[in-house]
Amino acid sequence: MSEIILGSKMVQLIIALILVSTFLILGSTRLYSCVRAFGIQSFLLACVAGIVAYSTGKNDIYIVALLTLVIKAAVIPYIFIYIIREIKVKREVELYVNVSPSLIIGGVLVVISYYLIRSINILSELSSFALSASMSLVSIGLFVMISRKKAIMQMLGILIMENGLFLGAISLTYGMPLLVELGIFFDVLIGVLIMGILIFRINKTFESIDTDMLKTLIG
Amino acid sequence: MVSGEMMITYLFSGLILFYFIGAVSAVLLNKKDGVCAFISFISAAVASVFGIIFSLSVIWGDPFSLALPGTSFLQFGIFVDALSAFFILVISVAVFAVSIYSIGYVREYFGKKNIGYLGFLYNIFILSMILVVSANNAIMFLIVWELMSVISYLLVVYEHEKPETRKAGFIYIVMTHIGTGFIILSFLILAGSSGSFNFETFRAAGVAMPPLLRDMAFVFALIGFGTKAGIVPLHIWLPYAHPAAPSNVSALMSGVMIKTAIFMMIRVFFDFLGAGQAWWGYLVLAVGTLSAIIGILYAVVEPDIKRMLAFSSIENVGIILIGIGASMIFFEGGRPGLAAIAAIAALYHLLNHSVFKGLLFMGAGSIIFSTHTKNIEKLGGLIKKMPVSSVLILVGVLSISALPPFSGFVSEWLTFQSLLLGFNFNTFTMIVLSISAAVLALTGALAAFCFLKTFGIGFLALPRSEHAEHATEANTPMLLGMGLFAILSILLGILPFYILPALDRVTRTFIGVSAFSQFFSISTFGTIVLPAKSSLSTPLLLVLMFIFLLVPFLLLYNARKSRAIYETWGCGQPVSTSRNEYTAHAFSKPVEMWFKNLYRPARQTEATYSASPFLKESFRFESRVEQVFEEYIYDPVVRFVMAKSQSAKVVQTGSIHAYLSYIFATLIILFMFVIAGGS
Repeated sequence: MSEIILGSKMVQLIIALILVSTFLILGSTRLYSCVRAFGIQSFLLACVAGIVAYSTGKNDIYIVALLTLVIKAAVIPYIFIYIIREIKVKREVELYVNVSPSLIIGGVLVVISYYLIRSINILSELSSFALSASMSLVSIGLFVMISRKKAIMQMLGILIMENGLFLGAISLTYGMPLLVELGIFFDVLIGVLIMGILIFRINKTFESIDTDMLKTLIG
Repeated sequence: MVSGEMMITYLFSGLILFYFIGAVSAVLLNKKDGVCAFISFISAAVASVFGIIFSLSVIWGDPFSLALPGTSFLQFGIFVDALSAFFILVISVAVFAVSIYSIGYVREYFGKKNIGYLGFLYNIFILSMILVVSANNAIMFLIVWELMSVISYLLVVYEHEKPETRKAGFIYIVMTHIGTGFIILSFLILAGSSGSFNFETFRAAGVAMPPLLRDMAFVFALIGFGTKAGIVPLHIWLPYAHPAAPSNVSALMSGVMIKTAIFMMIRVFFDFLGAGQAWWGYLVLAVGTLSAIIGILYAVVEPDIKRMLAFSSIENVGIILIGIGASMIFFEGGRPGLAAIAAIAALYHLLNHSVFKGLLFMGAGSIIFSTHTKNIEKLGGLIKKMPVSSVLILVGVLSISALPPFSGFVSEWLTFQSLLLGFNFNTFTMIVLSISAAVLALTGALAAFCFLKTFGIGFLALPRSEHAEHATEANTPMLLGMGLFAILSILLGILPFYILPALDRVTRTFIGVSAFSQFFSISTFGTIVLPAKSSLSTPLLLVLMFIFLLVPFLLLYNARKSRAIYETWGCGQPVSTSRNEYTAHAFSKPVEMWFKNLYRPARQTEATYSASPFLKESFRFESRVEQVFEEYIYDPVVRFVMAKSQSAKVVQTGSIHAYLSYIFATLIILFMFVIAGGS
């Protein structure tokens, strides 16, 4: 039964949309639109969790879906917007790698992830689709962290990676024990808060949140 | 009524418990310096009393073992046979005296340093040493060994506000970890052959291993434990770490901690590897001889008293290793009786050294406590300012100089005898042993010279500086601690016939035969009779010495009638000032000149003249000896590593993006690897 949910056209479509939202982050040069794309991604993730909960009939996954919706799709984007407003930086992303090469690299990463999951060969055809999407999210998240200058984008990158892991976890296990999920959510929330504080500190010390400045800390 | 076995378990638990109480109470009472020092050191002393009773009952009774809960893969446990018990005894005796001394000594730190921290580390340090000698599993051993190393590092850097202390700590922790690395290699070889990390299985596997692996296990163990023991050329950390640590800690480090390495050498060489091949014994003997002579040669010219004592520890570890090396040669050559005598000599010297070196380090601590200088050139005349300490230190000086009837004499005599007894072995052994004996004799003479200098320059004549001028006697707990060791030094010197049978029970555990009554015996007046008719009676010697001591007094009594008291004639110059005194450097100058090639002394003189070139206004003289091993072995290695590290530093850009890229590249390469391998 569980194979059917993830194979269902509905979930495939949503996962494809998650990938699209990731490319939205790669493709935009405005901080606000990046955050918006992240919010959409999290919302779609909550939908996946909701469908899994519906078709497996496990009640606690509803809670997980709800938490995803509240924390990742609402609270965290709000924190981002708050930080951007408070710091009053230029609202451009500032790239190391320009938009079009970024998009190409993102595409290459998706292809690599697809081949990677296919070569593991232990999964059925259907859930491997979700897993390769999750792998792409993890690698694109890491790529976002590398190719963007502003500390906010490093924060966003790590959250994209986290979303990828969430997608992978839910497609493999159809819901981990609730306690574990709660722990992860708590981690993410606290992580975001701490990173936010760090960004404020960086801004205060260097008058900028460009992580290039951190080079001067070398001993 | 509790059975004997239960009793021993209680004793061991009490021992561990009291060290814990000491550690915890030190932390809890941190705010009140005096109470904190008192409670934590007293509970260490109580624990050491448990340790003494426990170890004596194991030596005279049965081995004690205790399994701790664990898995089949890692079975931690305690195993105390007579050998471990002997080392627990050595540790406990030292801890008892040093703890009492510490109560007084740490007063110097009141209000300046954190006493609770010191008390905590002190108790845990001793506990880790106890566990090192009683662990029965290689992994557990490595854990407690590391604990011992790290805690002793923290104790070394206790006065971390001084830059030279931080440097000393750094050298110590680097050297000790190099040593631990070799120990791990050696244990991995043994574990690979036995299939388990338990020491019992090492015993069976060691003998059956292929010769090459056994040789490797031996060499790695020698390097690894040798680093901790301070054998030449791995000794460089001792002269840094021992002076830097607080004196009560140096007394324990030098007196006891380096002995745990000797313990493991005996365990590995005899127990695990079965004394192996002939060249092992010769190697250990050679290393021991080299350490003895090099150690004392550097001690002779060292002006810093604590550094001098550290060099002297290297010498004494050398003497102990000469005994162990000789024992290995005899054991491998099928003469277990001789092997037992040599091993007894080594262990006896080990016991003596922990007592008199502890005493001397505490003495050095008392000097620093009241004069605030470690430089012997700035002392002088202390015998009048601190009479009791001086007498106690004199006992230590006489013991370490191996003069009868003090303790060092008996053990060095035994070491000599065991070397000489090996002469009828074969020609090669005879040559090696005679060279070693000759070097040992030279070492003994130099040691006597060195400590004569220390005592003569430091305690006699007139004070050479303000510091020594205002010295005061050490406080009561310090004198008590030193007094205990002084009495023990004398007892160990005149009552060896009580101690040798006990040591025989200890050496029996790894030699396999009992030497007592079969190879040596004790007859009337406590005479120790060895094979080949050599014998020694320490009580008779004592009586004889007292008779001879009377002679000068009798002469003096006769001469009293014609004696005139008048000031020394000094060619019109005033004689009785400290400026006219013989300095420590001048005293050791002859030795410096004989061994010029080793010391490579460099001197610098600088004179300033006023008006006429015949009137010197001031004159400055500076002389230093080279630390050959540091300058020609360690420094090039350090320079090489630093140069390589500089060029490797390129990858550390400090840019967050670069570090993330490393991760990203690794990830992609791993992906590719999986894709290529999986399809």
